[in-house]
Amino acid sequence: MSPLGVPAGSGYPAGAPIQASAGIGLRFPHHAAMLAERPPVAWLEVHAENYMGGGAALAYLTAIRQHYPLSLHAVGLSLGSADGLDRRHLERLATLVDRIEPGLVSEHLAWSITGGHYVADLLPLPLTEEALDVVCRNVDVMQTRLGRTILVENPSTCLRFRHSTIPEWEFLTAVAARTGCGLLCDVNNIAVSAANHGFDPLQYLHGLPPACVGEIHVAGHSVHTLPGGRTIRIDDHGSRVSDAVWGLLAAATARFGAVPTLVEWDNDIPPLPVLLAEADAAQQVLDRATGVRHALAA
Amino acid sequence: MPSLRELQADIARAVLLGEPEAAAVHVMADGIAAEQRLALYQGNVRAALTTALRLTFPAVERLVGVEFFTMAAARCLRAHPPCSAWLDQYGAAFPGFLGAMPECATLPYLADVARFEHALSVAAHAPDEPALDLAALAAVPPSRHAALRFRAHPSVTLLRCDAPVDAIADAALADDADALAAIDPCAGPVHLVVHRGAEGVVTERIDAMDYCFLDRLFGGATLAALLEAAGADAAGLLAHQFITGRIAGFSEADP
Repeated sequence: MSPLGVPAGSGYPAGAPIQASAGIGLRFPHHAAMLAERPPVAWLEVHAENYMGGGAALAYLTAIRQHYPLSLHAVGLSLGSADGLDRRHLERLATLVDRIEPGLVSEHLAWSITGGHYVADLLPLPLTEEALDVVCRNVDVMQTRLGRTILVENPSTCLRFRHSTIPEWEFLTAVAARTGCGLLCDVNNIAVSAANHGFDPLQYLHGLPPACVGEIHVAGHSVHTLPGGRTIRIDDHGSRVSDAVWGLLAAATARFGAVPTLVEWDNDIPPLPVLLAEADAAQQVLDRATGVRHALAA
Repeated sequence: MPSLRELQADIARAVLLGEPEAAAVHVMADGIAAEQRLALYQGNVRAALTTALRLTFPAVERLVGVEFFTMAAARCLRAHPPCSAWLDQYGAAFPGFLGAMPECATLPYLADVARFEHALSVAAHAPDEPALDLAALAAVPPSRHAALRFRAHPSVTLLRCDAPVDAIADAALADDADALAAIDPCAGPVHLVVHRGAEGVVTERIDAMDYCFLDRLFGGATLAALLEAAGADAAGLLAHQFITGRIAGFSEADP
């Protein structure tokens, strides 16, 4: 038995694929409840960086892994760094992947490391040919070290660069085509960026290649009024999913089919039942999409 | 057009140091000033790193108050941004930074309280290690015992502080003003060993002689050198380190 009372060898097979159902992002406040109550949720996703040490956090994750399929979502590899990847950080991730054997591993189209310093945010990239080469090189390094394909998530952004030349959906499509990685379509991020930059979120969705989309994220975001009266949206993952984002999820599942779909909630984390209710709502959207496709097939 | 590396250096200056001029040139304004857009990211970065420090140094925050802590964190993260995305490790520079702040001169024990809290954080997040292989240790022939060196578990930190920082931190976290007032910060130094055992993070007060022994032990002294300088109960002290899990491995010194 492990220290947390989980029989060794039970539970989900190592690396089992994650089914096309709704899951939740697991954060520390819900560790104990997930183990004690084992609520019915199809899968869980955690931020890899929260489990790179040992001790209680990793012990919990290892125990929870016995009962739920897990996805590792990394936030600190900095796939867009011109300096290349932090090899020590990649080794930490590889160690965790070996231990947890997750069904999915994902990262972001963003950067956070330059000159040896970690800038603790997912910063936007200029969408240029140079940045495309850098991202593809870094994704190659990451996939080669992990010995598996990863999913790359579309970011939400509050700014764009004057010298960008490639629409973001084309950039992601090119990364997938050149590296063989999959895409994580965060429809909340699309909604946020579309509102911030004034583009049509459906155009973005329709620009992504369906065969490459291996996961979807939904989350809440906030709207801030800046001095001068303009509003800006921030994907703070601190509230319920908005109606507009549920609508985008429906459009995404109609286009991509049902794929593993995650409810993220990172700030003002609610009681577990609230999170599970959001996952139920996401599942209903997936079920409707599946129903539509079945109807079309018939 | 800047290279990606140049642009990323400019943005780091904007969001870490609050110097947006170079980066702003490359940002589309589009109804919101480029500096204002960059400031949104600067706010996110500051909030994330301040939260990381707050999680590691809760007693320090109680002692100085939220407002001062937030200001000190903002200054520290400019001077000492993290070197990796494993933020559980961030904050090693904060105790020294606090100690050098003139505003903290009235709390001479503050930096040591921070060192203690950092040791607790290191202990909580250190990598797991397999238990010491006692069978392998027992198999070392007695003729080679003198040359043995031991390796501390990565969760172990030894501290010597002028004030009873463990008691100060406990009282601060309990919001116990009476207990805090009853602590004499000049009562003499305390020697602490912090590590993570089977039941979690443990702090033990030790005396000055044991501190010297553990300092040599964890510093990689040979068993012969340890016993030469140790007091009467060196064997018991060494055994206690094995039992508590503070020793993760051993090696034999080069002949």
